[in-house]
Amino acid sequence: MSRPFPYTYISCPCVDTPVPDPSKKRRSRETPQKSTPERDAETKEDQDKTNLPNEEAEEEEEEQTFDPRSPRSNFSLYPPEQLLYCEDCHEIKCPRCITEEIVSWYCPNCLFETPSSMVRSDGGRCGRNCFNCPVCTAPLAVSTIENVTGNGSGQGPWVLSCGYCLWTTLDIGIKFDKPTNIRSQLQKMTDSTTTPTFDGRSRQGSRAFGDLKSPLSNFASIDEQSNSGERDGEQPASKETPIPTPHLGAEARFAALKSFYRTQISETSNSPSDPLSSEFGFSSPGALNRLMSLYASSSRLSGLYGGNKKPKSKPPVMREALTASEGLRIASEDTDSGLIQRIASSDCGWDGVASLGQRIEQSPDVRFVDELLPLPVLLRTKRAKRCKSCKHILVKPETKPQSTRFRIRLIALSYIPLPTLRPLAQPSTSSITGSAPAPDLNALSPLRPYHVLLTLKNHMFDPVRITLATPSVTPGVVATKVTVLCPQFEIGANSDVWDEALQNATAPLSDRIIGMRGGEKVPEAGKVWEKGRNWTTVVLEVVPGTLPGTQAEGGQAIDSDIVASFQKDEDVLEIPVFVHMEWDAEAQLEQQNVGKASKPDDLVARELAYWMVLGVGRIQASL
Amino acid sequence: MPPKAAKGEYIETDTGNKISRRSQIHGTQHIILGGKTVIQAEAVIRGDLYRLPSTAASTDPSNPPQQSNAPSVAITVGRYSYISKSAVLRPPSRLHRGVHSFYPLKIGDHVFVGESAVIEAASLGNHVHVGAGATVGSMAIIKDFAMVLDGAVVPPGMVVPSWSVVGGRPARIVGEVGEGYGVEGAEGGMARERYRVVGRP
Repeated sequence: MSRPFPYTYISCPCVDTPVPDPSKKRRSRETPQKSTPERDAETKEDQDKTNLPNEEAEEEEEEQTFDPRSPRSNFSLYPPEQLLYCEDCHEIKCPRCITEEIVSWYCPNCLFETPSSMVRSDGGRCGRNCFNCPVCTAPLAVSTIENVTGNGSGQGPWVLSCGYCLWTTLDIGIKFDKPTNIRSQLQKMTDSTTTPTFDGRSRQGSRAFGDLKSPLSNFASIDEQSNSGERDGEQPASKETPIPTPHLGAEARFAALKSFYRTQISETSNSPSDPLSSEFGFSSPGALNRLMSLYASSSRLSGLYGGNKKPKSKPPVMREALTASEGLRIASEDTDSGLIQRIASSDCGWDGVASLGQRIEQSPDVRFVDELLPLPVLLRTKRAKRCKSCKHILVKPETKPQSTRFRIRLIALSYIPLPTLRPLAQPSTSSITGSAPAPDLNALSPLRPYHVLLTLKNHMFDPVRITLATPSVTPGVVATKVTVLCPQFEIGANSDVWDEALQNATAPLSDRIIGMRGGEKVPEAGKVWEKGRNWTTVVLEVVPGTLPGTQAEGGQAIDSDIVASFQKDEDVLEIPVFVHMEWDAEAQLEQQNVGKASKPDDLVARELAYWMVLGVGRIQASL
Repeated sequence: MPPKAAKGEYIETDTGNKISRRSQIHGTQHIILGGKTVIQAEAVIRGDLYRLPSTAASTDPSNPPQQSNAPSVAITVGRYSYISKSAVLRPPSRLHRGVHSFYPLKIGDHVFVGESAVIEAASLGNHVHVGAGATVGSMAIIKDFAMVLDGAVVPPGMVVPSWSVVGGRPARIVGEVGEGYGVEGAEGGMARERYRVVGRP
């Protein structure tokens, strides 16, 4: 419904198959290792049990027609260009039946690739000069303030300015000395202090270079960070903090807390032999081991009456951060009341308070618009796509962010015929003028026959035999009668590119002739409307049903249930069409043996069947 | 003025451009159409906003004006591009060193510009779709196979990467188009069909 009429959607066949349960897979993977016969039998029974209802359901489904309005079909209907095709499974693949893997990371603003080793240390954001406006998310431009005279280049100071909402970094009192490497300049300023009134020139960052990166960078540089962590750990012991930093920035404070707790974990670790415990955080397997041993030992201690108590040393206790350099920050008593006073004051007002959407991207302390910091642009990815069931690569883009080429691109459009829909001008209304107006698809009048042209264009190099089927009456409240005038036809092969080029040169002329004839031509049952080299057009006769409201006008009794159940977009005329295609493909290596027996010339008969939905238009209420 | 009822609405040039008689095209000598381009009625194309060669000379007195005889190009449009009704194409401008100057606007092949959209971009790539009522701000760059939704406002200087969909005010990247986008006849590849239909009796 998001597209203008007429549209075509194709239903991925995965809608009928149950979603593979990852837990089941894991169980099946485990079973060969601990293969007890009883258990195998159990799982087999389980599978049989689960299969049985599925098969029954499938049989039922085959009888049923596809309902484009059912909630389930929401998940399977895709525009044709979104679908892929797996050559090994011989199936259409939708975004639900593929897995993705990242090929490269790039900044959508400067289109530079970020090496994957840098992605974490940069926090998944562009490390160059790309920033988004914290107020409106538009990209910020680096511009200078004082070069209106234009007599030289590189005259600072520089600011970031938004071309959409006219916000600049001057609003929060930030200027930059040079127009390059703004992110590290900004980080230096924000890390050294929390007060928003700083001057970029006077305030130089005093933190070590580890703080210039995001806290996540610690994962990337384990050795260096563990060293610095040890150093930090020694500092409180000697009570000599060389750098008096009363207010750390949010990120620096996080880094300080993180390194502090890392040293705490490494110092109190029970198993020094385990190398993981010292290097990773709490979420690591080493930390888990430590926790488990903690619980195990404590339960033994508590189980005094058990009698089998072993002499076990008490695990050393971790302490909390105590000083500001360790990341501790004590909230002052009047912080909250100060905030409230500021919000209530007349110079702040509604506009001065940052909105939720703005705050969600910022540090949790930010409450006011003048504390918002420019946001480095989030990186985007290029992703390869694999078939979920056979793991073959379906799409593999080139690594370079600027390139639009693909190394592998198995899109469904190269295999299944591309459906396009077009209303046929009504000949009955104005036969004298010759050129009848095309019907307004946004207001189809009920109970009046329309002719719709469905063109299927083949992109394969083999001719395809098509069988179309559609329910005679569309599902839903509004029952529209649909007839495919020619349900069985053939589409020619997509032959050489040069043929296509030559044909295209003459296409406008021939098309015009056909168009002229189209006015006089009458759709006939059992006959193809038009046929081209690799496309065929057939006619669908559509008689839109009446909406519940119009029935009342016609003097019939109102079925109150139907009126009540009449929902939004129920008047949209969508026709489910079942497409069955058959063609003789050249046999691939593994199928050659099978192919020889049945067909000559190494040809294998193939077939593919799927549902598609044709969005014809919207039925108007009045007759 | 006598009514031109006998002639069709569109003028077709040697290279196959179909230009509506009711379009407003200014500064035609600064506009290059790649052929088979459609310009619909009431579209405004501002070729008169080209970069003045004298501005470069005046700021830089040591350089004599040399390119004055070569006409500077304001707008380039590729093949099979489609400029809908009442769309506006305007070369982007920028204040550079105190001088306000225009820069060329490049539009690629198979581009669709929707009804009453305003384009001030530095470039639109190939197979770009700009929805109806959208605004593309000054010096924005829209890469190949990108899509601007109806009513979006792409802020000045924004770069829209390939295969992405932008929408909203200001525009943000809201999704990606499928891999099949731009295949002939499918979404993003309707340019030839669109061209063929235009001006048909």
